Amino acid sequence: MSTSTTDRPPTAAGEPAGDPRNAPRRTPLAPGRRNTRERLAAGGFMAPAVLLVTLFLLAPFVWTVHRSFFSDTRTSPFSWFENYTLFASDPALSRSIQNTLLWVVGTVVLPFVLGLAIACMTDSSRLSRLARLCVVLPYALSGSAVAVVWNFMLTTDGAVNQVLTGLGLDSVAQGWLLTWPGNTLVMIVANAWQATGVAVILFLVGLQSIPPETLEAGSLDGATGWQQFRHIVLPQLRPVSIIVIGMSLVNGLKSFDLIWVLTQGGPGRATETLAVSMYNETFLELRPGAGAAIAVVLTVIVLAASWLYLRRQLDVKGV
Amino acid sequence: MSPGRVLRNAVIAALALLWLVPTWLLVVNALVPASSYSGSPHWLPREFGLFDNMSQAWDRANLGPALGNSLLYSVTSATAAAVIAGFAAFATVVMPVRRQALWFWVIYSGTLLPLQVFIRPLFLSYAHTSLYDTQVGLVLLYTAIAVPFAFFVMRNYALTLPREVVEAARMDGASWWRVFWQIHVPLTRSAMIAVFVFQFVAVWNDLMFGITMVTSRNIRPVMAALADLQGNYSNVGPPIVLAGALLVSLPTVVLFFSAQRFFVSSLRIHR
Repeated sequence: MSTSTTDRPPTAAGEPAGDPRNAPRRTPLAPGRRNTRERLAAGGFMAPAVLLVTLFLLAPFVWTVHRSFFSDTRTSPFSWFENYTLFASDPALSRSIQNTLLWVVGTVVLPFVLGLAIACMTDSSRLSRLARLCVVLPYALSGSAVAVVWNFMLTTDGAVNQVLTGLGLDSVAQGWLLTWPGNTLVMIVANAWQATGVAVILFLVGLQSIPPETLEAGSLDGATGWQQFRHIVLPQLRPVSIIVIGMSLVNGLKSFDLIWVLTQGGPGRATETLAVSMYNETFLELRPGAGAAIAVVLTVIVLAASWLYLRRQLDVKGV
Repeated sequence: MSPGRVLRNAVIAALALLWLVPTWLLVVNALVPASSYSGSPHWLPREFGLFDNMSQAWDRANLGPALGNSLLYSVTSATAAAVIAGFAAFATVVMPVRRQALWFWVIYSGTLLPLQVFIRPLFLSYAHTSLYDTQVGLVLLYTAIAVPFAFFVMRNYALTLPREVVEAARMDGASWWRVFWQIHVPLTRSAMIAVFVFQFVAVWNDLMFGITMVTSRNIRPVMAALADLQGNYSNVGPPIVLAGALLVSLPTVVLFFSAQRFFVSSLRIHR
């Protein structure tokens, strides 16, 4: 990554190379005092953003990292990595790690596969457009509203059990949110119900950018539908796929509303992910040191996941 | 039609129907009058009790003030974030600034961190100052959270603009302030609208800060009120909770479908 913005490749599609942005950017002005004044003005324009971010986001971040090294006894002495060892010793936190892994797999695989399938199978016919609308619609709801809807589906006298009983499958009907790991899995399904819409939108954008000539050339060479998809379409969707995967991954790791409103992490802390455990430890169990350690671990995982797709994004946009 | 095409249409129709079921049940059961709800979900609408259910949800969860608060938080924070991020993007792209990469990362890093790392320090400092449980406190918080991503979008957009216009204006002796408001803002208007819409929805849908930084019912935002209503699910009854969920979702659903173009453009930039 380069350190200045002046040698960045053009970002907008179809923009000619050697546009004025690539020329030296300083305006031709008399050096000296004039320049100092210019820089002061620039500082004034940046100050509100820098101050807000530093005060409300970066300083709390440093504080949390610092706090994670102090234990939760009354005097809270410095305790090295004691809070981090809780992940091994505390059963609720081990379960939380397991759930987070399930969420990561589920939130990446389900929206990706379903989104890709729906985007590729639909075309510009009326049926297709209507079908896409049905899938994109839940994306406009908040996590809390999705939780309300799925609670209605999944409670003991909810719609899912009603359908199962109606089909004569009484033995399958159950308290969906009550036993692990079923409760985590149904919440991952609820999340996929909401999140697939974004994947569809992104894949559609990606499909539109595939030059039709490549498909024509493929069919001239005798490629069948599946071969065309596998060897022509899929490779060209690679950049979009990386964005979809990275985005679903980060959103899955951060998801809080859905779990909180559906189960509050319960019963017995069985459905917590790291995002919910942090909240529980800090504000309900009143163990801020443990909460801080969870927040730091979550941050590391989220940053690693973001790196997957940002690396590519930032190379394209240039930093 | 070839058999393959028939099969494909059948799969599409089946998926769409499956997807529609929860939404369909939400609407149908929000219509059922609360008093005639029999205990198991309805699949077809018969009577119309939607407005009555909504007004009951409104009373039970104090939705009036909550909707007003969320409107205030969303509009103010999204506008402030768009302007502040616009300032910073203007400075880093157009004005002569040293160490641009450093400033970029200082501002942008905020959007990479999960909200969980901010919440307790902010909670404690709000409790020590008088910002806890106030509207000003929430507006400040939501604005700060919105700025990094807004900055990222505005900056990427500003990079695609030609520089001649600004340079010509500077040659004519216009101040930076004037260049920003009279040239830069009109040129970046579509990015600003995208940022506004995106952050409006993000603030409207927030739950975590809404249940942490607030205790009073007349300060809390709308998703905290909905979570409260859901907490009383067995007392209040499904039709009223669902009608409440529908009511608080309406603004963002309408905004989403009327401004879908802007959503897609901000999604393409990254999330």
